[in-house]
Formats: sequence, structure tokens, C-alpha cells
Amino acid sequence: MVQRLAGHFSVEESAKRIRHYRYAEERMMRVMGGWIALTPELGAKLLFGRHVWDCAQHADLWGKRLPELRAPAQVSEPPNDAFVRFMDLVESPEGFGQTPQRLVGIYGVLKPHLLATYEHHLAHANQVYEPPTRRILQRVIEDERRHIAAGRAILTHLLRDDGARRRAHAWEERLHALLAEAGGVSGDGLSHLAVPEIPPDAADVAGDLVELEKPVGQWPLPPDLEAALATHALSLARGNLAAVAEDLAPEFRSAGEEFYRSALATGFERHAVVGAAKIGSHRQIKLRLESRQGAVVLLSRWAQRDGRWRVVEAEVVRTEPA
Amino acid sequence: MDRPIAYDKLAREDRFVRMRARRVVELKLEQGLPPFPDLASRESIKERVHGIMVGELQAMEGAGRTVYDFPDAPWEFAMDMARQVWDESRHVEIYIRLLEHLDGYVGEFPETTILWRCACAEDAAARVAGVNRGLEGLACDVFNQLVHIARKIGDPILEHAVDFVLADEITHVRMGSKWLNALTEGDPERRKRAIEFQESIDERFNLGGMRREGEHEDVPISIATEARRLAGFTEEEIARLIKTTQRSSVY
Ligand SMILES: [Fe+2]
Ligand SMILES: [Fe+2]
Repeated sequence: MVQRLAGHFSVEESAKRIRHYRYAEERMMRVMGGWIALTPELGAKLLFGRHVWDCAQHADLWGKRLPELRAPAQVSEPPNDAFVRFMDLVESPEGFGQTPQRLVGIYGVLKPHLLATYEHHLAHANQVYEPPTRRILQRVIEDERRHIAAGRAILTHLLRDDGARRRAHAWEERLHALLAEAGGVSGDGLSHLAVPEIPPDAADVAGDLVELEKPVGQWPLPPDLEAALATHALSLARGNLAAVAEDLAPEFRSAGEEFYRSALATGFERHAVVGAAKIGSHRQIKLRLESRQGAVVLLSRWAQRDGRWRVVEAEVVRTEPA
Repeated sequence: MDRPIAYDKLAREDRFVRMRARRVVELKLEQGLPPFPDLASRESIKERVHGIMVGELQAMEGAGRTVYDFPDAPWEFAMDMARQVWDESRHVEIYIRLLEHLDGYVGEFPETTILWRCACAEDAAARVAGVNRGLEGLACDVFNQLVHIARKIGDPILEHAVDFVLADEITHVRMGSKWLNALTEGDPERRKRAIEFQESIDERFNLGGMRREGEHEDVPISIATEARRLAGFTEEEIARLIKTTQRSSVY
């Protein structure tokens, strides 16, 4: 059966493709590594942490295959300048609030494209003389499927409102356009390949989903502090400085009044306790206050004074525009 | 992305309360409490576990930055650091689960970032010396003691989980020793600076006399001599560490 020996890729073409794959995998692994510290959401942070090592292994497997194809080991090479620009764009969202864009770039665009390309390559790689390449393709395909399913789960969790979903979609379109311009990771116009179906509930995906940020219904706080906080938050929301002043410890009274006067320039429509940490018997309470102008996150330390919980220290830790 | 990033870019969900370590210590001393959680009660073990959990988080973030910050370092270096990212991500999960096991929650105690600051060193050799040898050496001390205490109080869940983390940390220290040597080969000046950085970290993490040679029950943090040997610290290095802990000021 001579046709069993028919092939699509020459040795040189194979090595070149593999250098392009390695470029994408290596750069992706470095970018995800760099993003971990910049990503606030624990679920997404840990997802990158889980996948950096897999991507590094993919780059390494490709890099080790190269000398078997008469090429120097561990060399990455982009297919063209447009693909470099595509990767630059994938890397660019590094802001505190840009986790959805980071996830879209990797799990919505790059990995699905790699998966489709790897599947296409596997379908065309010769079964008689290319099994070393085929083995690597099978391994990376399996990982990419798992990664995409996990990434989609976290993304769905983070895209809670229409505005966020619209922004994510627009970002995805921009990336797809640049990817098409580059002709995909191999540079030969395969960016249009359909992404295979991926079941969202594959059993091994669970290991990558360590934590999905859950809204905390009730913080484990002493009941009298809970009650004091409810009154305090309401006074803050109404901009009722006189009532807020009642909650301040004597030693913090004058500095505190000054602080809340400037922090409460506008009223707030919604408020919630978003963090509660202990230092001995003191409690560090984070309050998120939202208005049409945006949100303010206040951190205040509460301690018992004369049998009552009072604020002994307060600061603004973050402001967000609407 | 900047290489390296400013240390204050470290991103957290709102449920984390970040504070300066010095301030936390002050507030505890004002209340007549020990500056660092001892391991005498379940509550203090929980606080220690929370501190370790955020330490693991920062270790993962630091190793991730190292993967990004040094694209021109040898490929095997990037591989080791990427592997470490994965290990630390499992450690974070382990300590989140242990925290739940101890009826705690993420954010229950303030987070301090001295560990992360060390992970922001600009030279790769200094970073592996400081983080992998200095901080992960401290992790070996802390985990070794925690395994012992868990065994003593009869908590096999805590004991087994932490023992696996300890095995990983010993591997990370070895990586640190390997890359400290490889990256500074033929550059004694760079090696000297990296080692000085590590020693400054060792000194800082003697925590004002908290880390000492002694029985697990008798000292706040005991030095894990055997684990340190396994991790590739020389007898001379271990002896020097013990000596520096003896002259650290006590709070
Ligand atoms: Fe760790
Ligand atoms: Fe480690």
C-alpha cells in the first residue's frame, strides 16, 4: 500500500511549522506567567497558574522534536510580523479590571485556534513516518481541550452583565481579525479552521477550576459588630456625617470626621461588606459603596470602646469609575 | 507588560485585606498578643495556615513573573520556574482547603507582602537565591514544624497534605541552588550580590528571633536541619543560619 506513504509536509516544512507552534506556546506561557500577579480574581489567577506548566511542556516537546527534523533544538519562530502583532495584542490587557480580555485572548481565541490547527495537522500527518509528531499532537490536543473548557467556565462566571459580554465579544473580534491577517499560527491561512466541539463538563476540567469567586452571603462576624456595621453602612450611603461621627472612637473622632467628609462627597445607592479580617480582637472591614459615579472601597478598623464597636482607623483602598 | 512590574501592582480580590507586616505586629503587641501566631491553639494554627496560603499565592505569582521577566535566560530555567508555578498553584489549593478544614475562610487575616517584595528582585540569580533558597528554605522550616505539630495533635489531613507540600519545597530549594550556580558561573560579583540578597532575606525572616534552633514545641519557628540538608544546603550554610538567628533582635 504505497499511498500509506503519501505525505503532506516535507521535513523542512514540518520543522518550520513546529518552530511556529513553539513561538505561540512559549510566548503564551510567558504571558500567562506574567499575568498571574496582575489578575485579581482567584479563579482566573489559579487557572493561569495551572496552565503555565502545560504550555511550557508543549513548547518543550516541540523544541525537542526539532533536532529530529534536522533543525536546531528549542527554537521559536513566528510565522510573520502580523502574528507577532496578534500576540502583542493578546498580551496587552494588563489592567486590574481586564481579566475578561486576558481570558478571551487565550481561551477564546488563541487556544481554540491552536486546537483546530493541531487537529488539522494530525489529520494530515503521515501515520507511518510521522508518529513522533503525531504523539506530541495528541498530547497537546488533549491539554488544549481541557484548558479551553476550564477557561470558558471561568469566563462565563466573570461575564455577568451584558456590557461585560459586549466588551469581551468586541475584543474577541479584534483578535480574530489580526489572527486572520497573520494567516494563523502557521502563517498559511488556516485561521478559519472550525474549532472542535468541547464538552463543558469533562471530568478532568474540575482540577483546573480551583475556586470560583462566590458572593459571600454572611461574614462570620460577632452579631453586635454586624448590627453596628449595618447602621454605619446606611449612614455612609445616606451621606449622614453626624451619624457616622457617632461610630468613631474618641481618638479617631476629628481625623475620622475629616476623612469621611471628603470620602462621602456623594451619596451611595448600594453598599456591601466585601472583606472582614481579624487582628486579635480588632476587625478590618472592607465596605464597597456604589453610586452612579462609580464605586469606592473603604477599609476601616473596628475595635471595642466602652462596650461598643467603633471605627479607630479608615482609608480608601480603591476607587472605580462607573 | 513591564519587566519587572512595580510591586504594588499585585492584584487581589476585595476579600483580601493587605497591610504592612510591621503594622500588623504593632496592633497585636498593643493588644498584648504574640506578634506571630504560635501553634498552641487551633485558632493560631488557622492563622498560621492563612499566612502560608497567601505566601503560596505570592510564591506562585513570583515564579510566574520570573517566567515572564527573563526571556533570555536558559530555556531549562524557564521550564523549572513554570513547573514551580504549577506546584505553587497546587499549594494554594491545598492551603485553601486546609483553611476550610480548620473552619477558616480566605481573607480571615490580613495579608502582608514582604514575600512578594523579595520576588521583585531585578536579577534572575538574586531572585532564585532570595526566593528559592531564602524564602523556600523558610517554608521548609515552617512546614516541617507544622507536619510535626499535626502528627502530635492527631490531624492526619493536615499532616499528609503539608508533608507533600514540604517535598515540593525541598525540590524548589534545589532548583534555586542549581540556578544560582548556573546563572552566576564565571561572574563572582553577580554571585556575591545574589548570596547577599539571600542572606538579607534569611535575616529578615528570622522574624526578630521567631525562627530558632530548638524543639518544635519550644520555639515559634524551628529550623528544619534535616529537610535543609535534603534540599542541598551545606552544613556550613545551616550552621551560619543558626548563628544569625541567635543574634536577631527579639520584638
Ligand atoms: Fe509552595
Ligand atoms: Fe515553593
